[in-house]
Amino acid sequence: MSLIEVKDLEVHYPIRSGFWNRVTDEVLAVDGISLNIEAGETYGLVGESGSGKSTTGKSIVGLEKPTKGQILYKGKDITKPSNRRELDYNQDVQMIFQDSLSSLNPRKRIEDIIAEPIRNFEHLDKNQEKLRVLQLLDIVGLDADALYKYPHQFSGGQRQRIGVARAVATNPKLIVADEPVSALDLSVQAQVLNFMKRIQRDFGISYLFISHDLGVVRHMCDNIAIMHRGRLVEIGTRDDIYNHPMHIYTKRLLSAIPETSVEGRAEARAHREAVEQEFQENQSRYYDKDGKVLPLVDVSATHKVALPEDEIEEEDK
Amino acid sequence: MSQNQLNRQSSISEEDLARLSKEAEQEATPSSLRIVWNEFKADRPALFALVIMVVFILFVMIASLFINQGQAMATNIMDSYDKPFTQFFLGTDQGGRSIAKQLILGSRNSIGIAIGLTIISSTFGICYGLIAGYFGGIVDNVMMRIYDFMLMLPITLFIIVLVTIIPNYNVVTLTLILSSFYWMGTSRLIRARTLSESKKDYVAASKTSGTSTFKIIFREIMPNISSLIIVDTMLSFAENIGVETGLSYLGFGLPTNTPSLGTMIANANDPSSITEYWWTWLLAAVEIIILTLSISYIGQVIRRATDASQRLGDD
Repeated sequence: MSLIEVKDLEVHYPIRSGFWNRVTDEVLAVDGISLNIEAGETYGLVGESGSGKSTTGKSIVGLEKPTKGQILYKGKDITKPSNRRELDYNQDVQMIFQDSLSSLNPRKRIEDIIAEPIRNFEHLDKNQEKLRVLQLLDIVGLDADALYKYPHQFSGGQRQRIGVARAVATNPKLIVADEPVSALDLSVQAQVLNFMKRIQRDFGISYLFISHDLGVVRHMCDNIAIMHRGRLVEIGTRDDIYNHPMHIYTKRLLSAIPETSVEGRAEARAHREAVEQEFQENQSRYYDKDGKVLPLVDVSATHKVALPEDEIEEEDK
Repeated sequence: MSQNQLNRQSSISEEDLARLSKEAEQEATPSSLRIVWNEFKADRPALFALVIMVVFILFVMIASLFINQGQAMATNIMDSYDKPFTQFFLGTDQGGRSIAKQLILGSRNSIGIAIGLTIISSTFGICYGLIAGYFGGIVDNVMMRIYDFMLMLPITLFIIVLVTIIPNYNVVTLTLILSSFYWMGTSRLIRARTLSESKKDYVAASKTSGTSTFKIIFREIMPNISSLIIVDTMLSFAENIGVETGLSYLGFGLPTNTPSLGTMIANANDPSSITEYWWTWLLAAVEIIILTLSISYIGQVIRRATDASQRLGDD
């Protein structure tokens, strides 16, 4: 059984307008997605800005209230606050935020920040708690003298590691990492990602890794879901997505990964332009008449894609 | 179980605890009290204002314990309008009552009311603003309509009517009446900041850490708007001294046999007092000016201390 099952999740925001300020329209931030996260794996959720990937992540930790659909954890629907309280859900599911500065309370010391989930979920005495905080700091590679400092005294990478330490403090089963490294420069990205990988190996944590950076996702994730316009366009293993992409949107994302080879420059550019042209010309075949993504169809045991049936047969040949 | 797992992953064990905490303490950032003190040292006028305020308030509070109010306010026609430094240190008013004693008792009453009023109205206003701003939506809507309604009331007239209706009122009841009308400015200000503050990621992080709503509002958000709270409280304290003295000046503040800075300034309501008997009102007026100026100086220092980019005393 999967660790977490998301079933037909929908998050719609009302748009109010007019004289009476009534609901006149809806933003379909997340429009019916289903995915399963297994224990110990890293699940990548990829898409452009505004595709609803952060909203999905926030719904899974319980920060966003879904309009419809279920999120099952230990057989219970955790979209209901009462079920979350009963399970002590957030002890098992934690989050790493994109903006490391604003996600740490500027008025609290590092000790209090990291100890916050420990204080709420596990009742340790003062020394045990401090020991735990020191060990967590050690695991993410920070010295003990960070203990009584404030967040603004650290660099971006250090702050993000503090965020990681807080997220693993209660030894969770799943961490939702919402673009954890996109605000950091490249060398620091690698550092934080390696810490995250090490922690996963040591503690057996699953990640839901939300990102728009396909290079990073390739480094981190076992299974990947591509999201566009609030829906999933393609789900598959790393091999399925990177080596056999089927949906035009996935191909577009892949062609946009920057490469640093001078010789291949013209070739990469030609490829990019070809993909873009195909997208512009054949958009109507990949999306329905309202511009929505088509329902997902099975291609293989692991690979699903949102394409019309005839298209899949064609691709298979 | 997780503790064992951690012990395996980290080289730190219980033996290191004492040593490491000591190391961390050496690296700790200075406490906020120390920062405030450094800021006072860097700003001499403000330090002077602080000394004046502290010494004056202590003097007034202690000295008033040794003065019998009934005796001090007893009329004695024979001493009417004695000049300062004759029989009485600071002279007497029309009723032959010592100005010096009235000044001490009056300051105690006026400052006491201002402090009480500030504490009650600011506490209520801050809580009101925090709750409205944090929950937003319908809660905010209802609370802000109540606020709008309160704002619409003619406060001064209301207080005058209440004071005439209530048969027996004293310092405490006056403070309570005033505080029920002076929380609005604070609450709107706090609400506005809370609205933006509660959308930040650290609040979301606290929610996922399992912190209760009450704790998030008062332990997470409130410290982050503390500079606003301190400055607003300081300013409203200066303002509140004016509220009571103004009412007493008009004759609707404290009862006539209770001295206050306002009733003393009210001595200046006829031309002969203003020109001939200046000592009956001038000292109270000067005292109010000095007090409010000092408060605003101190408020400035505290505001600078809470905002790292404005600090003078960092070096």
